[in-house]
Parts: sequence; C-alpha cells; structure tokens
Amino acid sequence: MTATFLQFCTVVQKIRETRGSNAKIGLFADYLSALETADELNLAAQFIGEGAFSELSGKRASVGSRTSGLAAAEFCEIDYDRVFKPCRTATGSSSETIERLMEHIPAAIKKRSPANLRLDDIQEIAVNLYSASGRDQKKEILHNVWQKMAPIEIKYFIRILGQGSLRIGFETRSVVASIAKAFGRDREAVRYAHMITGSLGKTAVLARENRLDEARFTLFTPLSFMLASPIESRAVENLAQYVAEEKFDGMRAQLHVEGDTIKIFSRDLNDITNSFPDIVEFFSQRELPATVFDGEICVYKDDTILPFQLLQKRMGIKKPGKKVLFQYPVLFIAYDLLYASGKPIFNLKLTERRILLEDLAGTYNIPISSQNSLQNEDDVDTLFNRALEHGNEGLVLKLKESVYEYGQRKKSWLKVKKPGGSFDTIMMYAHAGSGKRGGTYSDFTLGISVKDDERYEEEFIPIGKAYGGYSDDELKRMNSLIKEITVERYGPTLGLLPKLVIEIEFDEVQVNKRTKAGYTLRFPRFRAIRWDLGPDDVDTLSDVEEYYRQSIEKKRLPQHQNPSFIFE
Amino acid sequence: MKFQKTGYHGLYFPELGISLDGYHPKAQQTFVSHAHADHMPRNRATRACATKATLELLKLRGYKGSETVLNFGEKLELPTCTVTLYPAGHILGSAMIYIESDAGTLLYTGDYRTPPSPATEGFESPDSADYLITEATFGLPIYKWKSYEELTKKIQNFALGSLQAGETPIFLAYNLGKAQEIMHLLAPLRHPVMIHGAGYKLCSVYDAHGIDLGNYSAYDRETCEGKILIAPASALSNGFASNVKKTKVAYCSGWAANESRRTQLTVDNLIPISDHLDFFELIDFCKKLNPGKVYITHTPNPAVVQYYLEQENISSTYLEMEAEPED
Repeated sequence: MTATFLQFCTVVQKIRETRGSNAKIGLFADYLSALETADELNLAAQFIGEGAFSELSGKRASVGSRTSGLAAAEFCEIDYDRVFKPCRTATGSSSETIERLMEHIPAAIKKRSPANLRLDDIQEIAVNLYSASGRDQKKEILHNVWQKMAPIEIKYFIRILGQGSLRIGFETRSVVASIAKAFGRDREAVRYAHMITGSLGKTAVLARENRLDEARFTLFTPLSFMLASPIESRAVENLAQYVAEEKFDGMRAQLHVEGDTIKIFSRDLNDITNSFPDIVEFFSQRELPATVFDGEICVYKDDTILPFQLLQKRMGIKKPGKKVLFQYPVLFIAYDLLYASGKPIFNLKLTERRILLEDLAGTYNIPISSQNSLQNEDDVDTLFNRALEHGNEGLVLKLKESVYEYGQRKKSWLKVKKPGGSFDTIMMYAHAGSGKRGGTYSDFTLGISVKDDERYEEEFIPIGKAYGGYSDDELKRMNSLIKEITVERYGPTLGLLPKLVIEIEFDEVQVNKRTKAGYTLRFPRFRAIRWDLGPDDVDTLSDVEEYYRQSIEKKRLPQHQNPSFIFE
Repeated sequence: MKFQKTGYHGLYFPELGISLDGYHPKAQQTFVSHAHADHMPRNRATRACATKATLELLKLRGYKGSETVLNFGEKLELPTCTVTLYPAGHILGSAMIYIESDAGTLLYTGDYRTPPSPATEGFESPDSADYLITEATFGLPIYKWKSYEELTKKIQNFALGSLQAGETPIFLAYNLGKAQEIMHLLAPLRHPVMIHGAGYKLCSVYDAHGIDLGNYSAYDRETCEGKILIAPASALSNGFASNVKKTKVAYCSGWAANESRRTQLTVDNLIPISDHLDFFELIDFCKKLNPGKVYITHTPNPAVVQYYLEQENISSTYLEMEAEPED
C-alpha cells in the first residue's frame, strides 16, 4: 500500500474548496482511479463517505469533541477552558480549531514531524481507539498519532473518527457518482450495488473490478431505506400516476424473516429485534419463506393506532417486561416487499411488488397498508383528512412505476404531512453556531412562561432548542439585537434578557421527565420572529400541557371503517 | 493617566484636554488614527489632527470639520503634552499616536499591522511606553497570517488562473485599505482592474501618495467582463457584475481564515489577508514594548490576550469597545 493519508486529505480539502458538484466528483474520481490496490480503494471510499469504520460494522472510535479538544489543548500546551474553547467558538468547528492551533502554536509544531501515514495506518489507529477504554487512553493514542501528522491530516482524521459526512459538501450520492466515473461504470449500477452491499468501499472495489453484478443481497443484512420527499418542494403533474398510503404514526422498520428467524432494523440500520419480542413472535408463528418487508411499527390497541409518544416508551428498551408489552402492544404493518421467492425484487415496479405483497399477506395473514388510487386533488384531501382522523401523520404518495431505491428519490415518494403545532416562546439563550454557521449565534434555547405557575420560581423555563427556519437576513437582525440584550456569557452561550419572541413550530409535544418543563418538542423550528410581541405574550407551560393532553386524548378513528391497513 | 470613552469609539483624556478617534466637547484637539468609519469623528466641531493622507481620505468620506496636518515623526507640542504619530501599517495614512506627558508616556495603536501592509507608509514604533492601548481584533491563536510574499502569490495566481479559464475574477475587499492593497499587489500583472464606485473615489489619495494601484478604472457594468474586479462583500447581493456569466470570487479579509465564511458568503476562495496584526504578532509587540500596563480594545476575546500577557508578567485590562464589523 502506497497511498498516503496526506494525499487523501489534500484531495478532500480540494473538494471542499471547489464549487459545483461535477467538478467535485471529477476530483474524487481522478483520485480513486489512480489508487493502486483494492484495499486502498476500499478505505478511501469508506473514509470519505462513512468514516473510520464501515457503517455496517456498527463500530465507532468514540472520540468525542471534548476528548479531542482536551487532547489537542494538552498537545499544544494551552489552557483548554481559557484558550481552546474561545477559539472553537470563533471557528464553530472543533476539528478546524485543532488544525489551526497545530499549525500555529510553537509547542505543537515542535512535536510534530509528519511520517507519511498510509490509509491502512489510519484504520489501524481507529481500531486502537475503538478498543481503548477511557479518555486518558484515547488521549494518549491521539497524542502519539498527531506527532506523525500534518495539521490538515489531524483535521480530517478527527472528522473521520466522528463517522458520517466529512462536511465538505460531498455526500453519499456524489461518492457513488465518483466511483462510477472513476471506473467508467453506469451510475445506477453503482448505486444499486451500494444499496445492496451497504458499503461504499466494497462498491468501489466491485466497480473497479467490473464485478458490480456480483453485489448480492444477503438476508438479515439491512438495506438502506427509501425515503419520501416533502410534497411542497415538488410539483406533481399527474396524480393518477400515484397511489396513496397513510403515513403511519409509528416507527419505520425493515423486517427480515425466514422461518422462525427474524431480524428487525431501524431506519439508521440498527438491529432493534430485541426491543420487539411481540413482533418476533407474531412472525415466527407464520413460518414465512425468506422475505424482507419495509413497514412501520405502531402501537395498536382496541382497533386503534395509538400515538407515537406511546411507542417511545418501548423504543430503547432492550428487553421489555410483560407490563410494557401488555400496555403498549405493537404491530408491524408492511407496506413494501424487497425480497421474496429467493430473490431481491426492489427493481420491480411498485405495482408489481404490491401484487406480491398482497399475495403474501393473504397467505400468511400479515397486516399491510391500504393503498388508494388517486384521480385529483380532492381525493388527496379526502384521504389526508381520513389519515388524520386515524391519528396518522398524513399521506405518502407513491409513484406506481417507481422501483425501490435508497434515499430520497425526487418524485418517487412524496409525503403530505399535517402542519405542526405552534407556540409563542421567548428566546432565553443564544448559542454559537457550528459548521457553516460558525461565527454567528444561530442556535437558540426557547422558553415558555411560568411566572404565574406556583411550581416554579423562574419567569421562563426552556422548552426546546431551534436552529433553523429563519432567513440569513433574519439571522443577522437577530444577532444584532442579541448583542444588545446579552446579560451573561457562558463560553459559547449567551444568556439573554427576555425580549425576543419566537413563534416556534413543531411536530409533536413529548413527555420528557429529564427536562425542567417535563416536555420537549419534536422537530422544533422557527415559524416567525414576532417582532410585534413581547415577553407577556409568551405561551405558558399550561398551554403546553393542554396541547399534549389533547393530542394524546384526541379521539382516534378506529380501524373498522376505511382502515389505514388491512389485517384479518 | 486618566481617560474615558467618548463618541462612538473614542477616548478622552481630561488631564491633557485631547481626545483620540472621537469627539469630546472639552477636547482642544482630536487626533484621528486613520480614516475607517469606526475611528472617524462624527462631529463637525471636531478639530481633527492626523496625517495628510488620513485627512484627505476623511474629507472624501464626508468629514467636514477643521484639520491640522501632523506628519509622521513630527512632534506636536501642546501645553499639556507632546504628540507624535508613528506609521501603523494598517491603511494609507494610518498612525499610532504616542503621547508624552507628566503622567507618563502612552502609545495608542489605533488599528495596526506589523509587518506593515505594502500599500502603506510602513510601520514604526517608539521603543517603549508606560501605557499601551492596543486593538486586538484577531486576538486568538487560530489567527496567524502568511507572509506578504505568499499572499501576493495567492492573489496573483487567483487572478491569473481565473482569467486563463475565461472567468472574471472578483475580489471582495473592503472599500478603503483592503481594496487598494489588493490592487497594489496585483499591479505588477498590469491587467485592467475595475473597482466598485465607493472604493474608486478613494484611490486618488493612494495615487497622490505614490502607491501603485496598477491599471485601474471605476466599475462599469457593461465592460467589466474579463477585467479584474474589486468590490465590497455586500456588492454581490446588489447585482455587482451579475451580467457576467463566468466569475470566480475570492473573499479577502482576516476573517477569511475561518472556513465558515466559505458557505456564509458562497465564494470560490478565501484569502486570509488582514490589515490587522495577528495574535502572535500582537503578543510579541506587547513583549517588545513592555509597557507597565496594556489596555485591550476592539476584540471579542480580550480574556485570551490577557491570559497570554499574564504569562509574560504584563498587566492588562479590557477596555470595552466594539470590534469593527469590517476588517
């Protein structure tokens, strides 16, 4: 192996500095095609798209930003709280801060002498970090490695350890395109192989060796999920090309089954089988041939789909007890079929997959979503309202001709969601942004009023944190006001006078006992900055409690009429 | 030595009867370090004393009060004190203000850059001072500038590379100082340059003081394609050169050292070139001058500078004045 990590980082930095996705793809394609060995190719594709470990491995180096920050401060011989933290606040990025300190601070310069580490060295170090226990051991490994690295290597090494995107404006779809371009393969063929193998590294090697058709689906290994795009961003020309299904108020899951072996995977491809013994039992009784379903886990009781908030009580419990199983019984409702009769079928059209799904469901008695044909907007409205009556989130419109592909695919699946609720809140704290919002205050803790509430001594308590939904101009305007109303500073966080009222939108109110309010909001975001309102107009904790009570107790239409899924 | 804040960003010295970079009704004389807006007195009654270049720039930027020219190195004897201006290396005409009085000596840096910007009169400083009032705009160790040699190469290569690719290069640079500095560094290319109107009118002062700004003219939308263009960062969203199809944009500022500026401004290149000194130069300067007391201004992070000065046994205080928005 001759490919150095420094070369890799140089290309990555070049991609970061290049605008236009074709130019970026070209740069990485050139790099990939020049690599000598399959191992190098495997690692390069994995590092840029997945991290130090392949996504499938489920491993992580577990080096948090505090660990790397403390290690860097020690390495540079600077004070963590008094020097490192203000620098990180200014850049908005821990890894960028470390890179620049490594380049500037004399003590760090003295210690470093780049040793041309290779890609496989990097992987070995990541494995060492994975096996190391405790911050001190990890810091020691980091110190040893950094001595052999240039600042740019240190920056990207830290990002790679974090798993996921390197934040260089180069996402999975671009990596896939680069692989196709590097080896002159069809982009869709590369995509397909990636979806099956779940590994960019393996996909790159198969592409180079012209063995993409060998990418084989294996049962009990999760496939990446197909996702729906919001309908607002897409113009739909012909509704008749779509069918509609209700968007269940539950949790997306993929179920692999063969006989009495069952595995369930969550959307982030984690194995969640143990949390749902009732689903395992349900399917093992049915003695299915090798099959993979895509569907939704919902709490289902008395003929009714119950709120997602109740399902939450079962998520994360590794071994649910009898009481929980009894209180919150769940059902897996299938809406797609990815593998049947011994072969993957995701390249079949939706209508064809649906026929197979209906056959299977009929034979083995499995709940499947109801599908409705559409003619016009009125149909969408009727079905949408009915979905809401069932307590579901809205609709998913699916293009009849579409194949099953991972990620958001333009207009293949479209979601029609109910608008969220809203509260008028007070801005309590402003937090320095990170990444592309580095250098501004872009994240905000928002509070509700408790001044007339005997349970609290404060005037306002936090209800959620929002960091989106405003325009660049609004952000600027808020930042200049924030300067004037700052009363306290806690490192990157500013404590503010209660002046600025934010109308906040959210999907749900959830119970969360660990917070002061006892509630949190799901997907909070700005709806409007209410320059016209003052602190006295802010909604109260009682308003939040009332909203929660109504959403839980809201009558949900039982399933015996116009059901959202078909069962028995 | 007693002083207090006055005006927008200025200081008033009651014992001496003078003010620096800001009007005070009781000040006999107001010394102006340089012609950037945050240091410029806003009151017409001000009796501004500054270098010739600074006064010329002030007038072009709308200053209407009375003027006294004080050349670099020339001592102005006042009843209470003696004032000398030292070239600050920040922009043309920029000066550090050195005060000698019965209460001791004080150096007020204004904004400064050492090594000096090539588009200035250079940098010089007294050997010592009892008090130092210094800006610390880039007072964090993440800020360390490359040499002018490297920066020049980077700027020239960006212009040449874009032109060769058939793209019009645009440098985003503040109207006064940074814009002319970039033009000066590009001057050896002798390629036609067009500069945004607000900056253009200030160029004549640079010409008059013998700074070569190359082959330049005022921005003209119809004919700007293929020229090297210079504009403030705000111009792009106001349609500057929006008729030119292929452009490449470089943001030139000390703040360009921060990667987050790339996506905040949507630019092709970040060129960290500053008219302020960097963190390391700042600490070195304080050590060299070794004053009894340092007052730190114009920075969001005084605590970091103070912490480093503490290590050098230099006592310091934060003098709260907002950092200027433009570098």
